Amino acid sequence: MTATARARTGTPWIYLAPALVVLAGLLVYPVYQLGLISVLEYTQAQVSGGQPTSFQGLGNYAELFGDTEFWRVLVATVVFAAACVVSTLAVGCALAVLLTRVRAVPRLALMLAALGAWATPAVTGSTVWLLLFDPDFGPVNRVLGLGDHSWTYGRYSAFALVLLEVVWCSFPFVMVTVYAGIRAVPAEVLEAAALDGASQWRTWRSVLAPMLRPILVVVTIQSVIWDFKVFTQIYVMTGGGGIAGQNLVLNVYAYQKAFASSQYSLGSAIGVVMLLILLAVTLGYLRLLRRQGEEL
Amino acid sequence: MKLAPRLAVFLAAVTLGAAACAPQTSGNSSSGKDEKTGTLRVWLFQEVNNKPKERAVDAVLAGFERAHEGTEVDIEYIPVETRAQRIKAAFNDPSSAPDVIEYGNTDTAGYVEDGGLADVTAEFDAWDEAKDTDPTARRSVTVGGKVYGAPYFVGVRALYYRTDLFDEHGLDVPRSLAELAATARELRAAEPGLYGLAVGGAYTYGALPFLWAHGGELATGEDGTYTAAVGSAAARKGIEAYTALFGDDNCPTAKCAGMGGNDTVTAFAAGKAAMAIGGDFSHQAVEAGKVKGKYAVVPLPGVQPGSIAPAFAGGNNIGVLKSTAHRSLAVDLMKRLASKKAQGELFEAMGFLPTFTDVRARAAESEPFVKPFVDTLEAGTRFVPASPAWAQIDSSLVLPTMYQEIVSGKKDVAAAAADAARKMDDAFGSAG
Amino acid sequence: MRRPWRFAAEASALLVAAVVAFPLYWMVLSAFKPAGEIESDAPRPWTLAPSFDAFRRVFGQQEFGRYFLNSLVVAGTVVIASALIAFLAATAVTRFRFRFRTTLLIMFLVAQMVPVEALTIPLFFLMRDLGQLNTLGSLILPHIAFSLPFAIWMLRGFVKAVPEALEEAAYLDGASRARFLWQILFPLVLPGLVATSVFSFISTWNDFLFAKSFIISDTSRSTLPMALLVFYKPDDPDWGGVMAASTVMTVPVLVFFVLVQRRLVSGLGGAVKD
Repeated sequence: MTATARARTGTPWIYLAPALVVLAGLLVYPVYQLGLISVLEYTQAQVSGGQPTSFQGLGNYAELFGDTEFWRVLVATVVFAAACVVSTLAVGCALAVLLTRVRAVPRLALMLAALGAWATPAVTGSTVWLLLFDPDFGPVNRVLGLGDHSWTYGRYSAFALVLLEVVWCSFPFVMVTVYAGIRAVPAEVLEAAALDGASQWRTWRSVLAPMLRPILVVVTIQSVIWDFKVFTQIYVMTGGGGIAGQNLVLNVYAYQKAFASSQYSLGSAIGVVMLLILLAVTLGYLRLLRRQGEEL
Repeated sequence: MKLAPRLAVFLAAVTLGAAACAPQTSGNSSSGKDEKTGTLRVWLFQEVNNKPKERAVDAVLAGFERAHEGTEVDIEYIPVETRAQRIKAAFNDPSSAPDVIEYGNTDTAGYVEDGGLADVTAEFDAWDEAKDTDPTARRSVTVGGKVYGAPYFVGVRALYYRTDLFDEHGLDVPRSLAELAATARELRAAEPGLYGLAVGGAYTYGALPFLWAHGGELATGEDGTYTAAVGSAAARKGIEAYTALFGDDNCPTAKCAGMGGNDTVTAFAAGKAAMAIGGDFSHQAVEAGKVKGKYAVVPLPGVQPGSIAPAFAGGNNIGVLKSTAHRSLAVDLMKRLASKKAQGELFEAMGFLPTFTDVRARAAESEPFVKPFVDTLEAGTRFVPASPAWAQIDSSLVLPTMYQEIVSGKKDVAAAAADAARKMDDAFGSAG
Repeated sequence: MRRPWRFAAEASALLVAAVVAFPLYWMVLSAFKPAGEIESDAPRPWTLAPSFDAFRRVFGQQEFGRYFLNSLVVAGTVVIASALIAFLAATAVTRFRFRFRTTLLIMFLVAQMVPVEALTIPLFFLMRDLGQLNTLGSLILPHIAFSLPFAIWMLRGFVKAVPEALEEAAYLDGASRARFLWQILFPLVLPGLVATSVFSFISTWNDFLFAKSFIISDTSRSTLPMALLVFYKPDDPDWGGVMAASTVMTVPVLVFFVLVQRRLVSGLGGAVKD
């Protein structure tokens, strides 16, 4: 091996070194601890050294999988996250296309409103939406003439309300990113398509979508990751999981079951399960992409 | 099989790794030191309007620093919302831990289990003022027969009602729970836009008086070994009485099932309810609302006409941390903060009810508003099981879930109560 | 495009903007409403007696200015540090082919999947052993770690968009590797860096979890969200205070957004140029 060739193989690792050091110390190591805690008995008493830790094997997982509520929550989480991802992507992409069709003033207005929604802390966003849809004190029911209809009582209407809030605060990321992507497509390409007499939909499908592919991949994966971990919105808007826990999602379930009462091992086990599910979904998606000739 | 040996190596490596870096713990034992000078750190809860509290506390601290030469007190007000993380963190990192803390009285058993609070039984018993502490307040600092702090103030709930509406419809103040339900329905019928009695499916401390008034218990047993009792016949009667208040003839289920205590008080303050169960600490919020000058408060009635339903005695305590290096000084500061004089001043500043019966009686004389709350306290109050499992039961919403399952028609009283009892027993069992 | 179509598009854009902005408007409005009016049975989209009481309660808190400054220091440090580190890492994974490249990329993804709540316990002990508890470092370090994976993923596209030919030309001109990296590549991906910085800024600025877990005994090191949490009292939340504090928190982010808006769009656009 020549000196230069060695330099070339070594260089990427030099560039990566700071990132790897930070991530190994502050992410990989804690994640390893998380896995470890999930197979131990580990409550506040163990944390503060009052009692020794003891190895439980897969006991915490067995307890989790033996609980019918866990499975119900898991299914609800997957369905809810999927609905959030699809709605966020649809709204974000549609508005991104809309942005390319309007002049500066409406574009700026929409952009600013979206950025404002994005910048609002999740706790506040959830509280405001709750105030807006409050059966007694909110303006939405007044305007829609719904009287004192309660949005948080029914399981599906409560999920729908939370979904609206989640879409509200997460579509801006999709919209801005996709809009930027469209803007970066050379104008000639679009003109050529227009000259060929392609319809709007056809232009999107056969010209824009393929060019935006890398951006859409990133946006989709990020949305899946974020929406699967939704916590604040459910916790605040449904009062910790809805009437009789009907609106629980995994992250809130873990918090209630485990972290709020210091049963860290059970909470860690739920964390590990969430990690594995997300991993499976993402790897499946990437594999699908690769089969279609896309590369990481 | 090629896989098996590899797997074995992998597992061995993991086990070794586990042994090498087991998850960390912190040796949280008492420091053994008892220094007589230096700086004491104190954490008190930050109230929304904190200035009067600061003034009352500063007076106590000035006296303390004068009495002990060479000492200083470093006081910090922490947001209530962050207390769980902060206090647990303090148990885990003695170097950032304070010497004296204020804590919610439902957290006592949990903090003791975590090994965070110092046992001050001897000092508490030797304290001459302590004999006037009301028995429920004393129970709220006691775990396993030992005392882990001094009660700081109590909070208790009573019945708020609209005097203008009662006059208009010629109604009398209800004298029993049955009359309360009937009056609530009459009011709802007369004023269809209002809840008769605002109730909430997630309002545990508003629902428990019904359970206790009917002779029910949350759990039976003493210190450490508890068995859930919410499935008993008496408890079920109380649960039934509360859940019967949900419905279009009083508080429509669709809206009330999800409400918590604060929501019911808010509804009352906004003129949306004819009656509500609210705390002495809700007074300011109600005064700021639309019903100012149009309401009064009485103790929540019990089953027998003229009786008072047992209320939940909430409130805060002052405790000394086990890790303190200034034990004697810290205990003295705790006693000063929770003394009769200091509690009287705290009442004047913030309206928090004193835990000493004599101080409380004087407070009721000076401020007629607190009388119904003091009466409620005098009639006898209840407390949650003094078990670390309570934190788990509370945070996993066992009781709200039970009430909500019943009012939303998902389960009947017997089934929901049996499920709740099972979950509670699981928690008692696992938390030992 | 034909006129009626454009008109319809612009009208709907404005309508959507109004709908999206309405909750924000309601937040600001609630902050100005006098006590008792937020929960009134006749909700009105205006207030006749605007009051600064809620803002006074926010600014009247112990050391509010200090919290603000701390938030700025933490967010600023995280943004700059994670941008630089991510830039280097993104260059490594796009300009070089090496073993474990794909594995690394997947790992950066996986890193984002861990629920943060679950990690606070291990992180707490780590911070304690590093002696960082109660310092701004305990907020800065984990936030850098949590922003990095996403920043690397986003930056990949920008680095890729810089043509290989440029790199070869630079070396032919005798430029060193470091010179190419910092004087040629870095300015070219700067818009992309701005775009990714927005994410790390927002997540750091709005964080409650680390602030309440790691800043235990020194309130002078607290950050802005702690000033908001004061108003969430379980029995008696002060909605006016919550809304006013949130308004105060959101405004700097909006200003930051407006400042970088152009760069944000042109920056994010770089990700698809191939």
